[in-house]
Amino acid sequence: MRNLIKIIYIHLLAICCSTSGLLGQAKETPLRIFGYFQVNFTQETGTSAGSESTNSFNMQQLNLLFQKNLAKNWSAFVNMEALNNFSSSKEWGAFNLEEAWVKYRGSKQFNLKLGLMIPEFNHLNTIKNRMPLLPYIIRPVVYENSFEDIIDLDSYLPRRAFAQAYGFIPSGRWKFDYAVYLGNSPNINDRSALGQTGVDTTDVFMTGGRLGFRYKEWRMGWSATYDRTNEFGEVNLFFQRPPRFFNERPRLRTGTDFFLRWKRLSWESETIAVNYDEGDERFDVDRLFYYATLGFQASDALFMYYTYWGTEDEFVFVDAQPGIIPVFDLYQGTLKIFVPSLGFSYGLNDRITLKGQFSWVDISSDDEFFKVDFRQNVLSLAISAFF
Amino acid sequence: MIKKILFIFFILMGWQAAQAQVAVIAHKAVPVDQISSAELLDFYTGDIKLWGNDEAVIVFDLKPKGEVKEVFYKYLGKSPSRMKSVWMKKLLSGEGDPPESMKTEKELLEKVMETPGSIGFVAEDKVTDDVKVLAVITREEG
Repeated sequence: MRNLIKIIYIHLLAICCSTSGLLGQAKETPLRIFGYFQVNFTQETGTSAGSESTNSFNMQQLNLLFQKNLAKNWSAFVNMEALNNFSSSKEWGAFNLEEAWVKYRGSKQFNLKLGLMIPEFNHLNTIKNRMPLLPYIIRPVVYENSFEDIIDLDSYLPRRAFAQAYGFIPSGRWKFDYAVYLGNSPNINDRSALGQTGVDTTDVFMTGGRLGFRYKEWRMGWSATYDRTNEFGEVNLFFQRPPRFFNERPRLRTGTDFFLRWKRLSWESETIAVNYDEGDERFDVDRLFYYATLGFQASDALFMYYTYWGTEDEFVFVDAQPGIIPVFDLYQGTLKIFVPSLGFSYGLNDRITLKGQFSWVDISSDDEFFKVDFRQNVLSLAISAFF
Repeated sequence: MIKKILFIFFILMGWQAAQAQVAVIAHKAVPVDQISSAELLDFYTGDIKLWGNDEAVIVFDLKPKGEVKEVFYKYLGKSPSRMKSVWMKKLLSGEGDPPESMKTEKELLEKVMETPGSIGFVAEDKVTDDVKVLAVITREEG
């Protein structure tokens, strides 16, 4: 650890000292523009009451990437993403600036990214929107950007950070990875009437990191973030605590990731647990996400897999003021989403990939007031192109 | 007599199989004289991007499939398709570029010869004195 701090210190010193001489050693390259998109066809077949059958084509995602080496050891990268048939005139989908950062490449032990970035958290977080790299059409739910309208993905994942130091320390065939980062807390102003939307309205940071190792085709990691959230601000209506008691409650997200390849078989899995310190024993929320994929590389071009992923949101709410909302005298339940899938991806050539996926969606809640029993089969076909 | 002929034939076959096949070559000025398969993999995956003297490592690949490429990738311990997905990940994450692929071994040899910090691979019998040989991979090693 002391060595690591020394390496970081030396590199920070080197960055400061080298800035004045940058132009002299500049190795600028032309701006490169490239990107990828994925279009899919989805047939949903309802298999429970209230579950409807639909057919739809969807321009699921398009990313435009811009990359440029600015000078020796410095590069810049911008990633813009359009989702779900994006059209501003028709108010469909969304268009997001996902990344815009500069990177200082010191050595294998130390790299520094500054700007808007997707931070290291488990394995899938940083590559979740790189569709050509993934065999899935519908990604494990918390990584599925096109579900942003339906699920609060930010509860599970750090999706943005603004400064990250990372690298690896080799030891023979072993490589020990680390990443530490800093970002906004999740309390972002989204009300234009208050002015300057998109900024953090509190005096707290999100801090996080990942530690892991790689050995040949084996990889493991542990991730964590800590921040404070205002997402429970409204519940004080029921508990008569001092104003803002439920604001800026501590939130800890922890994750594990595992990957192993053996000959043509591969196994990849992750877990994410979200724990809050609500500060009141009458109110408790915990979230859990997990996924695992068993893959088989049938040939250079064909990859087949079985995957399952799920979330469990536990919620306990004991109303201290019976009668305000009678059914809330006691609410205790778990909302579960469980989705096993079978699928394949077939590389038609270096740039075009065909994908197929069949999923069994099961959403249920065991609470007596909010009974949910939703089942649906989803068949998806997609084409993914890199340009 | 037949036994003797067969014996000599198998000895020759075995000797041929053990022959050096592929040379890992580098620009004359690179600061190392030999390289292990683990180091080579680090260069080709982009995990290590600088030589010891702070010069950028520039890797070249061979486009056409063939015995030379097959032996080299086996030595790295990764299939060409696996390496492609590693490079794709680096490219799409803004972390690096895939190596430039040459159409022929002659072209690759010339490129390594004229590009400081570069590294590549060709059949051993194609190597000239204008490049440095960092490793020789035999078919069996590969």
